[in-house]
Amino acid sequence: MTKSYIVFGRRITAQLTFAIGMALVFIFSLIPAVGILIISFTDIRSLPFLPVRWVGLENYETFFSSAQIGYNVIALRNTFVFAFAVTIFQNVLALLIAVLLNQRLRGRNFARAAVFLPTILGVTVIGLIFTLLFNPSAGPAQQLWGAFGSSSAFFGDPSLAMTLVIVVQVWSGIGVAVVIYLAGLQAIAPELYEVADIDGATSGQKLRHVTIPLLAPAVTANTLLCIIGALQSYQLIYVLTGPINPATQVLSLAIFTQGFGGAQGGTVQSQGYAAAISMVQFVIVAIVSLLSLAYLRRRETVL
Amino acid sequence: MSTMPIAAVPTSTDATGTPTTETPGPRPESVGTRPNRTLKIVSYVLMGLVILIYLYPLVFLINTALKSNSEFLVDPTGLVRNPQIGNFLKAWEQGNFASYMLNSVFYTVVAATLGTVMSLMIGFPVARGYVKHPKAWMGLFAAMLFLPNTLVTVFQLALRLNLYDTPWGYILIMASGVGVGPLLIAGYLNSIPREIDEAAAMDGSGYLRYLFTFIPRLMMPVLSTAFILQAIGVWNDIILATILFSSKEHWPVTLGLFAFKGTYTSEWTLLSAATMIVAAPLLIVYLFLQRYLVASVVGGAVKG
Repeated sequence: MTKSYIVFGRRITAQLTFAIGMALVFIFSLIPAVGILIISFTDIRSLPFLPVRWVGLENYETFFSSAQIGYNVIALRNTFVFAFAVTIFQNVLALLIAVLLNQRLRGRNFARAAVFLPTILGVTVIGLIFTLLFNPSAGPAQQLWGAFGSSSAFFGDPSLAMTLVIVVQVWSGIGVAVVIYLAGLQAIAPELYEVADIDGATSGQKLRHVTIPLLAPAVTANTLLCIIGALQSYQLIYVLTGPINPATQVLSLAIFTQGFGGAQGGTVQSQGYAAAISMVQFVIVAIVSLLSLAYLRRRETVL
Repeated sequence: MSTMPIAAVPTSTDATGTPTTETPGPRPESVGTRPNRTLKIVSYVLMGLVILIYLYPLVFLINTALKSNSEFLVDPTGLVRNPQIGNFLKAWEQGNFASYMLNSVFYTVVAATLGTVMSLMIGFPVARGYVKHPKAWMGLFAAMLFLPNTLVTVFQLALRLNLYDTPWGYILIMASGVGVGPLLIAGYLNSIPREIDEAAAMDGSGYLRYLFTFIPRLMMPVLSTAFILQAIGVWNDIILATILFSSKEHWPVTLGLFAFKGTYTSEWTLLSAATMIVAAPLLIVYLFLQRYLVASVVGGAVKG
């Protein structure tokens, strides 16, 4: 198929439309991506007419310098905690919900629609709904805590904020994962379950020995999507706890605060420094996704 | 749904020796009787729980939106006694949501349409080998899924191209994040035989007419998947909009609602009404398009 031959009279039309499409992708997507690497070696600033200096590895040195490393280690740790917790909870729960909603139950379509709903509502609406539910002055969560003779500041509590953000992220992101698992489940031949039934398998055994092995490709797809998404996500955290909350500071938000202010009181670095953080994040995402892909592929064959 | 690669075919199972002479009844679940019954009940309970977890937040939102401030303070979780429509009017007036919603709808529709057309323009010739080095281009499409966070450079680009704080700058940047679009389209084209291209060319159709009128009709499912995936991304964006817009008149509704939250921090009933104003049209659209949207998202996500 690599050999190209002429089908439509003049080749030039195909090449021209292709070139127009690619030009837009290059200008607005690929050049900025490569540009991140380049400007991470400069001290470029958010004002357009200041001179730009080449500073070599200075931004990366700053990232690992004693002044910044404490903050950056926290952001790194938060990023990993967030990404792994979201990936694991979202996938396990999504798988269970998918198995549940794959049964012949009345109202299962309604339940599927309900689980997918947050995808449509969008981050700001979700953020506000949960701010309301976890309203520290008066809300259902506070009443629940009160029933146990306790109280909490919820998103304002540094030890609880990250957990809550993870819960909200899982709540809102699970719909897509459920639908992917459902598609995978429907592709499993029902005869396999009949055979398992004849062999006297319990539903737990059926889940372990029929469903999960055959769903392995869907698990791989879901886990990878989730890990890459979660390592880079920040919209929901931004809405729920703001850009500068140390308890929920992740790398993506660090890029935003370093590059565009919002870093309250702190010294705002150049955007070159923010670009350096982008590159650090990029390398982390690349390593983690390659490792997970290798691991998941091997698991698939083991199962 | 015809492009579902996760349709895993079991290569070998340990149960091949077991005879499967039983007639394949329409309801395979009804093989056992007694344990299945309790399982059913448990399943219904669990499903009820799932629905509750997803609908309670919305019900609570509507309930709060209808309360007066004093009623909310006295009893934040109880059912509303004296519904106040005034909250909605006030939120509508002060939040300027009509214009933010229009902006959002405009950005979403235009950017996702443009993005999908771009995906088609680049995906089709590469899949068919009508441009040189199709393999290399496919590799690039895949690599485009793993780009670094480009907030800083996108901002610099918009600044230097005089696109900062303009709707078109935002739209072009959003549209160019085509994501899985080209890969989806190229993948789907494997199921559309080349002979159709050739037949159309023989009949005198030019490339443009073929690409923009014939082919889209053959690949509506995948084009709508690409469109919806990109639309969700644009609709949900708040960070890029924060960076690229300084004037309120260009704000999408995500930003408008977030700013409203900043202004009316502790006026919970008003905030709820505002959230409801933004959520209501989405809920109505979702009611009608639900099946379609869900199916489309899966089609794309699995490929990605």
